Amino acid sequence: MDSRKKEGQMKTIDILEKKTSRRSFMKKLSIAAAAGSAGLVAGGCVGTSESTEEMGLKWEEYFKKNYRMMTPEEKDETVVRLEKLAKLQDGVDIQMSNQEPQEKVLFGYAFNISRCKGYMDCVEACVQENNLDRNSKTQYIRIFEMDSGQQDPTSGDGKYHHEVPVENKYYMGIQCFHCENAPCIRACPTKATWREPDGIVVVDYDWCIGCRYCMAACPFWGRRFNWGKPEVPKEEINTKQHYLGNRKRMKGAMEKCTFCVQRTRQGKLPACADACPTGSRVFGNLLDPDSEIRYVLKHKKVFRFKEELGTDPKFWYFMD
Amino acid sequence: MKKIFLRSGLLFLFLVPVASLNAMASGGGVMDRIHDADEPFDSMAIDSAYQLPLKTVRGKEKWQGGQFRVLARKDFINKFRCSVCHTDKKVLVKNAALFTHGDIVMNHGQGDDGLACIQCHDEDNRDFLADSSGKKIDFDHSYQLCGQCHFRQKRDWLGGAHGKRDVYWAGERVIRNCTSCHSPHSPAFKTKMPETYSLPLDQ
Repeated sequence: MDSRKKEGQMKTIDILEKKTSRRSFMKKLSIAAAAGSAGLVAGGCVGTSESTEEMGLKWEEYFKKNYRMMTPEEKDETVVRLEKLAKLQDGVDIQMSNQEPQEKVLFGYAFNISRCKGYMDCVEACVQENNLDRNSKTQYIRIFEMDSGQQDPTSGDGKYHHEVPVENKYYMGIQCFHCENAPCIRACPTKATWREPDGIVVVDYDWCIGCRYCMAACPFWGRRFNWGKPEVPKEEINTKQHYLGNRKRMKGAMEKCTFCVQRTRQGKLPACADACPTGSRVFGNLLDPDSEIRYVLKHKKVFRFKEELGTDPKFWYFMD
Repeated sequence: MKKIFLRSGLLFLFLVPVASLNAMASGGGVMDRIHDADEPFDSMAIDSAYQLPLKTVRGKEKWQGGQFRVLARKDFINKFRCSVCHTDKKVLVKNAALFTHGDIVMNHGQGDDGLACIQCHDEDNRDFLADSSGKKIDFDHSYQLCGQCHFRQKRDWLGGAHGKRDVYWAGERVIRNCTSCHSPHSPAFKTKMPETYSLPLDQ
């Protein structure tokens, strides 16, 4: 054993000490590159049971552009490819949409802290709707049990599990606030995250390199990282998907609340607002003076969490 | 010559801040955008907001966006129509528990102000509710009755800060009735275990 170890050490030292000329270095590099790309091509064929169709789809998927750079045709193509891949890889029939934002719509959200009872129906509905990883128990929403008089969720209990509501406590939900001036967008080095014209901050999961700068930049703990391969039981997969929303994520990709883009662009409420049994969650079009959210902003006492940071969140808290 | 340059320079110094102030005013902050948007949005134009497969009735009042619909109530009442039992027929003792609504727990109104049946139900025609002036109110429009005490909640409910819309934010406004969420006899929400739980923040 010992001698073999020594041999290995000798070899590494040898390589380190050996002086290489530029020419030979370049030569080796080009050989390595050629071998590498050959491996990429051959990799699919050898030792796996992948069909040619699946390989072809994956190949085309690999070279697609950032979602914002795609033409409408390219968007349609990638959506079709992803539907086919879901069928081939997971045996699930999904309907993926790439629906564009509606004109004259800017989504906003209000949360009634005097009505929320901490039942967490919203959290569960969100997990189901957005195909969140069941392994790591990823959740976009966190409800904090707060002492009255406190406004900072860090003073509250974010992992309570007892009968709710408790007397003299109130409940405050935190999720992505879809800031107009979002620090996460500026932090992203690959422009994989941006704000859509209807105000939703989205991620192109295929362009995310997993550096987690956005996670560090967000003052509201709004982003979630896939440390492992996200897993959802086949029978629980929500098949109504959107390219920028609840489609399958991969290991190493960042994800976040998208105001349920797959629902809201069709005129539906986000899953959390739809599931809330207490009516604490108000969602609507901020540009419509008749909308419920505008009524709340006009007639109720509202505040935004950490407004002084200037990120301009589109998420208000209000009380009766 | 020098003077002209100096003057134009001064003018420039003056103009730049004014221009930048203008830019800030229309800078697209969310509050500014909201403030500028005063044209009603045609949410009926979002054609993917279909009609719900639920029984609804047209609200008898209006909200800021005009007419709206509320979820119907009568179909969800187990023993409607009330006049089937509330007749002059005699009641057998063995059916007494059922016929006297022994299953209903009254917990509405506090202390001595606890409500009695006929404060909301019409005394003569049991198929209707009645407000304090004796006006008959349909079960599907119970908000008219609840609103006589809970007028603040009703105002917010009409506006959209209390209660909720059903499924859609767009399309025709369909909202839940008071009794869709609150039991009229015991309207406070119950304590219960949460639907799920969250892991500690550092995991």
